[in-house]
Amino acid sequence: MSVFSRKIRGFRLVDVVAAGLLVAIILSVYLAKTIAGGERTEIATVEKQIEAERDRIRLLQAEVAHLEQPSRIEQLSAAHLGMAPMAAKNEITPETLGDVMLAAQLKAATAKRAAEPPKVEVAAPVEPAAKPLTQVARVSIPGVQQ
Amino acid sequence: MTMAHPSFQPPGWRWLKAQVWGLEHAFERAKAAGKAEDDTRIRIFFVLALFSASFLTLAIGATNSAVFSNLGRGDGGAAAVGSARADLVDRNGAMLAADLLHYGLYIDPQEIWDKGEVRRALLGSIPSLTPARLNRALNGQRRTFVLGGLTPESRARVHALGLPGVTFEREERRVYPLGQTAAHLIGFADTGGVGLAGAERALNDLAHQNAAAGAPVALSIDLRVQAALEDELYKAATLHQVKGAVGIVTNVHTGEILGVASYPTFDPNQAGKSSPDALTNRAAASVYEMGSTFKVFTVALGLDSGTATLASTFDARAPLTMNGRTIRDYHAENKVMSVSDIFIHSSNIGTTKLALQAGSGTVQKYYKAFGLTTAAPVELRESAKPIVPRRWDDNDVASTSFGHAISVSPLAVAAGMGSVLNGGTYVPLTIRPVKPGFRPKGARAVSEETSRAMLDLMRVNVVRGTGGKANAPGMRVGGKTGSANKVIGGRYSNNILVSSFAAVFPTDGPLDADRYFVLILMDEPKGTSETYGFATGGWTAAPAAGRVIDRIGPFLGVDRRPEVVGTTPAEAVVPIESEH
Repeated sequence: MSVFSRKIRGFRLVDVVAAGLLVAIILSVYLAKTIAGGERTEIATVEKQIEAERDRIRLLQAEVAHLEQPSRIEQLSAAHLGMAPMAAKNEITPETLGDVMLAAQLKAATAKRAAEPPKVEVAAPVEPAAKPLTQVARVSIPGVQQ
Repeated sequence: MTMAHPSFQPPGWRWLKAQVWGLEHAFERAKAAGKAEDDTRIRIFFVLALFSASFLTLAIGATNSAVFSNLGRGDGGAAAVGSARADLVDRNGAMLAADLLHYGLYIDPQEIWDKGEVRRALLGSIPSLTPARLNRALNGQRRTFVLGGLTPESRARVHALGLPGVTFEREERRVYPLGQTAAHLIGFADTGGVGLAGAERALNDLAHQNAAAGAPVALSIDLRVQAALEDELYKAATLHQVKGAVGIVTNVHTGEILGVASYPTFDPNQAGKSSPDALTNRAAASVYEMGSTFKVFTVALGLDSGTATLASTFDARAPLTMNGRTIRDYHAENKVMSVSDIFIHSSNIGTTKLALQAGSGTVQKYYKAFGLTTAAPVELRESAKPIVPRRWDDNDVASTSFGHAISVSPLAVAAGMGSVLNGGTYVPLTIRPVKPGFRPKGARAVSEETSRAMLDLMRVNVVRGTGGKANAPGMRVGGKTGSANKVIGGRYSNNILVSSFAAVFPTDGPLDADRYFVLILMDEPKGTSETYGFATGGWTAAPAAGRVIDRIGPFLGVDRRPEVVGTTPAEAVVPIESEH
């Protein structure tokens, strides 16, 4: 007897299998749609949250811009920290840090010499401190028009 | 009631039954003929084909619904529509203006059973809500808009009250988080999303286009430069009790406006509450007789046209009388002066003679090349047309040579100065940033040699002449002062001035090196004890320009030259007391 002609309780086997297959497919489609619907709802919720967060971020960005407006920062820094726009003499570049250190050392040396008591017994001409120091300072600044 | 016969059947049904039975009989005939296998196969094939077609259709439909159903609906993003405007940002991306989420408050009186409670709760929660407006909504017959512009926090506060009949709807509102900073350049838009002033108006279409694309609109200004410019300008304006003031910083090669300020100013968030005077962008919409800053143009045209060289001399020993008027020098040298001296000592007599020697046609040609005879070509709609002489006779040529009888907007002056100082090409100003390294090709105004000579001359004027107080340490500033007598009641006033200082830095280096122009203008400044009562450009505008340059130089990448720090030339410590 062919498998296509075999019957179970009066029904053909192939019909029973086809019906079972049909039920299985219907069930799987239903489940897929249901799960997809749930996922879609979740996606919509997340997208809504993203949108809300995006609005929140923009609001916070605007608030930051408002709080960081230069005139406000300047007022606060002047009132509470005693700060002021930086003076030119306080600006320094990494390339000239060595020159500043040298200048400070020269200044200290000059001050030290000036503070020493004059030696009365020395009649020979004293080497003026400022002249050679100035020359050193000039020579030491690279790439600068003298 | 239908009285159909029990055996009645519709014709279609009878046909279908006939077809099915015909098919069944065909199977039975096939079976009777000994072809059982064929009969079963045909049945199975038929059933399978039918089911396969059905399920294939179902599968395609289900897949389409599950996977592609959301495409094109746009409910996932913030699709910009209608009045939405893109953010305005500065050249470094700092936010200047933005559409922010707000909420509109609506009341449906049909859903409210205790109006007194709702009234009390709302008035207590929203300070800006007026009782009259609320009562009108509560006593109405249908759902009514009550108040817009509620922040999410305000909305949450009201929502937490749980009031019946009180609902909210989303709305975008234009917000200017920096308040008064760069207010005139940014401008403002109405609640319908239409730009009314400044960049909001000038770039209205672009703001809408970029909103749809989600991209901001960048402006050319640098917020750091803008802040320093405003700070120093407003301090000087307050100190000298001016009627109005203007500050401009531009890149002379690209025409980019890096900072522009107008005093008095306003808050774009409350533009409707500001006075027309405060709303006026004096940099673009006002025109002024600039006074001696115009001598930059006159000397430039004199040199470029071959009328004179820097060493050429003009007799300035005596006042010049022409057509019944006398042109004097306000700090007369009473000598024959070179063109350099004429510029440095701001000699009206010498400048007039130089312009007259060049001739009316030449002066007009160059003024046109400098863009002084038309409105400054910038995106801002406020850009004002100049007031120029009608006849351009000798009298007019003489007056315009030292900045009288011609009124131009400060932006036009900035563009014209740029053409003299950038190597000689006229580049229109712009409020949009240009690509790094890009230099627009402008129309030739003067030669490179003339441009170089003017840079040097302006530097000398700061070191030795009237602009000493603008000499920011190490910035190699060049400049020219201007102090124009204002026309009051049809006559030039003796003591009411428009004082200005046109500066450029750094003046050294090759012509194509980065270079910036700064203009400070004060309308009717008053002298102070520190200025010994003088209100001229050298005493009022020049110090402010120097402080601006001192602060913005580092932002613009201009290195200080260490050897000149703190070595302001002795001649420049006290400017010539009254230059015009």
